[in-house]
Amino acid sequence: MAALAKRKDWALLVLLAPALMYFLVYHLIPIAGMVMAFQDYRIVGKSPFVGLKHFKMLFASPAFVQVLVNTLIISFMKIVLFFPLPIAFALMLNEVRASVLRKFIQSTTYLPHFLSWVVIAGIWIAFLSPSGGGANQLRSIFGLPPRDYMTDKSAIRWVLFASETWRSLGWDSIIYLAALASINPSLYESADLDGAGTIQKMRFITLPELLPTMVTVFILNMGFFLNAGFDQIFNMMNDSVISVVDILDTYVYRIGLLNMQYSFSTAASLFKGLIGLVLILAAHQGSRKITGKGLW
Amino acid sequence: MVRSISSAKKVRTPASELFWRCCFTALLLCTCAIVLVPLFNLLALSLSEPSRVSEVRGLTVLPKGLSLVNYRVLMANPLFMRSILNSVYITLVGTALNLLVTSMAAFALTRPKLPFRRFFMVLIIIVMILEPALVTEYLVVKKIGLMNSLWAVILYKAVNVYYLIILMRYFEEIPPSLVEAAQVDGASNMTVLKNIVLPLAKPALATLGLFYGVFHWNEYFRASIYLTDPMKYPLQLILRQFVVLDDTASLIGSGTLFSYDEAARLSYSALQASTIVVAILPVLIVYPLILKYYARGVMEGGVKE
Repeated sequence: MAALAKRKDWALLVLLAPALMYFLVYHLIPIAGMVMAFQDYRIVGKSPFVGLKHFKMLFASPAFVQVLVNTLIISFMKIVLFFPLPIAFALMLNEVRASVLRKFIQSTTYLPHFLSWVVIAGIWIAFLSPSGGGANQLRSIFGLPPRDYMTDKSAIRWVLFASETWRSLGWDSIIYLAALASINPSLYESADLDGAGTIQKMRFITLPELLPTMVTVFILNMGFFLNAGFDQIFNMMNDSVISVVDILDTYVYRIGLLNMQYSFSTAASLFKGLIGLVLILAAHQGSRKITGKGLW
Repeated sequence: MVRSISSAKKVRTPASELFWRCCFTALLLCTCAIVLVPLFNLLALSLSEPSRVSEVRGLTVLPKGLSLVNYRVLMANPLFMRSILNSVYITLVGTALNLLVTSMAAFALTRPKLPFRRFFMVLIIIVMILEPALVTEYLVVKKIGLMNSLWAVILYKAVNVYYLIILMRYFEEIPPSLVEAAQVDGASNMTVLKNIVLPLAKPALATLGLFYGVFHWNEYFRASIYLTDPMKYPLQLILRQFVVLDDTASLIGSGTLFSYDEAARLSYSALQASTIVVAILPVLIVYPLILKYYARGVMEGGVKE
């Protein structure tokens, strides 16, 4: 019986085969293909190795440096500046006792998470339109002149931040709400006896209890710092603002698939992938060390 | 530490607590308004009488008059109608395939008898943390002849590794005795998966199915690089051309629009709003199910994405 239990069941490989085929075609072969970052890619015939030529071109290109700076700034806004917002949202929602109201707020604010960035871009372009959009109607109420946010270099990154918040505020608060639900109620009861007010209870009980979740979320988000949100930017950028919102992924797309500089684009991808890999592994280790829970 | 005295349970709520609760509730309701007003505004725009569209301002939430002309114009457009069919097809076939492949893989990977199990687990982590270059993925898809085929779009993300891991965790909690009992009776792996494991994992499958489904419905980027024939475009891609890129010719170029009497009075922004509403509608239809399955699962298990 023991021998039987140990025997490998080769038929299980049949069940795994379709997934393996998918990983092979859409992940492993393309990853192996990234060797072309060190080659001059040719559609027919052998692609000659050129060493670090494309990487040297990349770092010598002012456009790439600007792209890198944009990526870091936008990621900083979306990861660091955005970070406290879902926490505040969860804390406030936790104080809402009426369950109907609570459900309404949750169902409403989770919804945008399920809309595509194409749809959200459409909604925001309409909302920010200088001719009759909601934002400019508000401005006119306060006597301000209309403003075209979508084509304004000084405003567009905040448009990205605001639309990201619009999409993710509710959804990203879920993890904190779950953590809040698991706080021992007796902590609050004893604080009540000591006469602690709402804000004091938040500061001295709720926040410290949320700290491990906050650390996990923050560290894991840092692992994706170079992403900055391709779909959002791809759908919200235009020629007037491209210089301040072009990020690594949009750059890779443009030089790769539009300009067909295959090897050059792959070099940029490889650079992003390697830094990203280091960040993710660091995030994984850091999170495991501090909270005992990693990415996998 | 434990000082909870049940008899001292709050009899009254202090005034300051009530004050803060009101503030928080007001602020949260404002957030809801910020989410809802732009959505209702587009709905109002799409349903308004063409002659009164100019009365719809940015913060208007109710239609001026009531007319379905925008939707009728869209429905008369072959490219638009075709794109809805394409999206439905990609979503249904894609999600079915996702669930089949993901659950078969999750089942195999959670069996101790699987040969090379550790090797496959490492492979999954590699897939999770290494992202292939866009260009190399594109070239592989081109090489295997999937260009301009809906399959290129359907197969993309055939297995989402995060979902695979969630499902594996779920499968691991199914008592091994149930599976072993069936195997002693001579049931094959496929039979065990179909008759024992999958029925027990229904809530997890429903959640993943909804997430895969929303993903397929919302996908536009792979479609934009892999599909060249506009008649194969999914709705999101048409939406992107029409609304985001403001390319009205792509949708209206066929001339069908102008066969309508009202067409001369139609506003592009109202037509664009209608397109957005159509793209949101299926998400709204499954949204209650998402709330039912996922939000509950999250509150209990703390799973994220």
